Amino acid sequence: MLVEHAIQITSLVKMFKKRGDEVIAVNGVNLKIDQGELFGLLGPNGAGKTTLIKCISTLLIPDNGTATVGGYDVLKKPLDVRRQIGVLTGGERSLYWKLTPVENLNYFAALYGVSRKKTKNRIAYLLELMDLTEKRNERVEKLSSGMKQKLSIARTLIHDPPILLIDEPTLGLDPTFSRFIRNFIKDELHRERKKTILLTTHYMDEADMLCDRVAFMNRGAIDAVDTPRALKQRLSTEQVVEVKCMGTLEPDLFAQVKEVATLSLENKDGLAYIRMSSDNPEQLLPAILDLVQNKAKVLSVHVAAPTLEDVFVHLTGVQLKDDQVEECG
Amino acid sequence: MRVIFEEIIKDIRILLAYPIEIAFWIISPLLWAVPLVFQGKALVGSLQSTPFGSLAGTSEYIPYVLIGAIFSTYMFTAVWSMGNALRNEMFYGTLEHILCSPVRPLYILIGKGLYNSMFSTMFVIVQLTICVLFFGLDLTVTKILPMVFFLALLMIGLYGVGFIAAALTLLIKEAHGILHMFEYILFLFTPIRYPVEVHPITRAVSALIPLTYALIALRGILLGIKFDFLKTSLLLLGIDIVIIPLGLYIFGWVEKRTKQRGTLAHY
Amino acid sequence: MLRRIAHYFRAINAENIKEWRIEWKYKPDFFRQFIAPFVYLLPYILYGIALLGGRFSEHLQKLTGVSDMIAYIFIGYLIMGFLNTACWAMGWSLRKEQWYGTLDTIFAAPVPRWVYVAGMAFHSTCHQGLIMVFQAVIITIFFSIIFSTAGILPMLLIVVLMVIGLYGLGVLIAGLTIGLKQWWVISEALSTLMLVVTPIAYPLAVLPVFIRKISLLLPTTYGVMGIRHLLLGEHLEYSLGTIFLRLGIILVVWVTFGLLTFMLMDRYGRRKGFVSLY
Repeated sequence: MLVEHAIQITSLVKMFKKRGDEVIAVNGVNLKIDQGELFGLLGPNGAGKTTLIKCISTLLIPDNGTATVGGYDVLKKPLDVRRQIGVLTGGERSLYWKLTPVENLNYFAALYGVSRKKTKNRIAYLLELMDLTEKRNERVEKLSSGMKQKLSIARTLIHDPPILLIDEPTLGLDPTFSRFIRNFIKDELHRERKKTILLTTHYMDEADMLCDRVAFMNRGAIDAVDTPRALKQRLSTEQVVEVKCMGTLEPDLFAQVKEVATLSLENKDGLAYIRMSSDNPEQLLPAILDLVQNKAKVLSVHVAAPTLEDVFVHLTGVQLKDDQVEECG
Repeated sequence: MRVIFEEIIKDIRILLAYPIEIAFWIISPLLWAVPLVFQGKALVGSLQSTPFGSLAGTSEYIPYVLIGAIFSTYMFTAVWSMGNALRNEMFYGTLEHILCSPVRPLYILIGKGLYNSMFSTMFVIVQLTICVLFFGLDLTVTKILPMVFFLALLMIGLYGVGFIAAALTLLIKEAHGILHMFEYILFLFTPIRYPVEVHPITRAVSALIPLTYALIALRGILLGIKFDFLKTSLLLLGIDIVIIPLGLYIFGWVEKRTKQRGTLAHY
Repeated sequence: MLRRIAHYFRAINAENIKEWRIEWKYKPDFFRQFIAPFVYLLPYILYGIALLGGRFSEHLQKLTGVSDMIAYIFIGYLIMGFLNTACWAMGWSLRKEQWYGTLDTIFAAPVPRWVYVAGMAFHSTCHQGLIMVFQAVIITIFFSIIFSTAGILPMLLIVVLMVIGLYGLGVLIAGLTIGLKQWWVISEALSTLMLVVTPIAYPLAVLPVFIRKISLLLPTTYGVMGIRHLLLGEHLEYSLGTIFLRLGIILVVWVTFGLLTFMLMDRYGRRKGFVSLY
């Protein structure tokens, strides 16, 4: 079916009631994703990314707005939508642990309409692609997390869908597996196979590395949509200064600092990392160092180009962490 | 002691959050006895049976099955509640934290056992009240003390069974099957639904199970069936004296073995 | 169109095979399920023997035309296996997927919900059928029960109609598991109620009038009565034709209600966002 956009979301709203309070998980989202595009949805935990994915994959019914996937309306033609998509959500928990990779893929192949003739070869091909051939007959419960995630990806591709909805693919994985999966998404799925991919993540560098375009999502709403380069250029007049100190610093130490566009602080393993963006770092830096010098030992000062995270913090005032969101000045 | 108390409080809080479950545990044992009542009427055409009387000591089979249904609650809830206790902690992922604390998992089980005893007793009181009001069961004050005596002996025996059940579920991860096997043995080889004297095998196996003697005593007290008070108490006490140390030993052995193998916290 | 139908049938069978594979991985539990029916049947039999001092009952003969208590109870109990499947196995199947974390992936597949439901029902039928055959062989040999073989075909038709009706209940319960985390209480209540009012170990005649009226709304009642009539010669209050007709009506009502409940709960779950939550 020839369509203008592979995924089109118009004023989508999804609310939940939690203990009497209404939580707006997706708040009037508008997005258009082109065929063959690798589109990133970036935001902290609780931003509404997974809820949005579930709405467009027909797992949730939106309260308002519309969405079409592959030209099919998610509410009116859910079956047709599901034929177009492969969904990766839930990671390693979305497999049958007591079955082997081959048994899992056999089942999902039947469920997703892969013909009997093609199933065997398709499974062999996917296992080879994900470097799981040796583990084909081992129970999933015995595989490592990274292997389980690879198998989940294989399952997502079993019916060779044109559109992929991938929710946090590298969450909780070690660097080796994370790198494999990122490269796989970029090279194999995006470049080679020209899949349309909607990827959610809260890892900025992942989005920066992989995506053609990125949308910042926070508190259910989209704050900005553009290419990573264009987004970073929004801060081009500003410079980012990083200060590394030995010790622990409190955020309210910097409460009175003016002339800073964004300032973020991370205390980790006995070190404090201050990151600030400003039009005039030469004037700002001495003030920061003055505040810090009695509390911690300055180890290094570094001027960097703005990253997507800096842009995100600048636009939303929210800093991304693995499990927490820190509001910054 | 504090750990045991906290475990009881935690379980009470959980149960009170599910009032439907409370109603279920009160009503269902009585409901399970109802088909047996109808079966009796269909087979003998009256509320009494002479062959039944020669085996059970009473020809009135309805009160017989009602009492079996009511007091079997203790046994089944002990097996499932204590048997599943540590498996549940494994499932939640909290077992390792418990093991790292200065508390032995055994105390968690004891807490579960005590909670179980409390609530089973509550349910039994309600069920007995229903039987007194609607089925004419004769329950006088003089019967209460001997009933409490035998129930106490029963509950002690249950803790031994519970320790063994919990140990087996730690060792063999597929707990459901093990606990069902316990349940089957209790179901088939104790006089919950029928007098075990009906078959030599049921008679022989039932002699090893504490619930058998407890039911003999409780039916004797409530229905006026003749039974040897001293002999039954001593047999029940004898089983308790064996089963408690046995249960503790098995539990301790399994705990040690699974720590050595490194599978203690694996779900 | 044909390809789509082939896909759906393949998905139904895949669900069945997957469940067998997973069950087989829990071998002790797999074999235990073959033992369980005997454990629940034997107390009825032993209780009956205790009441009668033997196997045969004059009073039962007067009421039903069948004096062999063991054969009488056995048929009733055999049929109740399907009730347990409907109330527990089908209800638990969705809950299991929630627990595994696979429900989202299954519900994101391009098959209508009824395909998944049919897969559950198909597996349950195969599973229970196997247990039933095993049970029947053991009990008939052990207790030397002889059945009339003249009515095998109509008996199979009764079983089919009854089972489909029961699966309507199973689908209803499966639907409830989407939203109600304490669904097991409903399952237990329904199965206990049906156990009481269905004439497994006794004829309808011994039930109080109001319970008899409830019993006549259940497929298991007609199933048990019809099969006992065909295999043992039990007297029937109704003609076989009436039994088939009533089973047909009950089937339509229960299956429709079950599917409707399932669809509504699925939709409700997707609105409220708790479909995949365990």
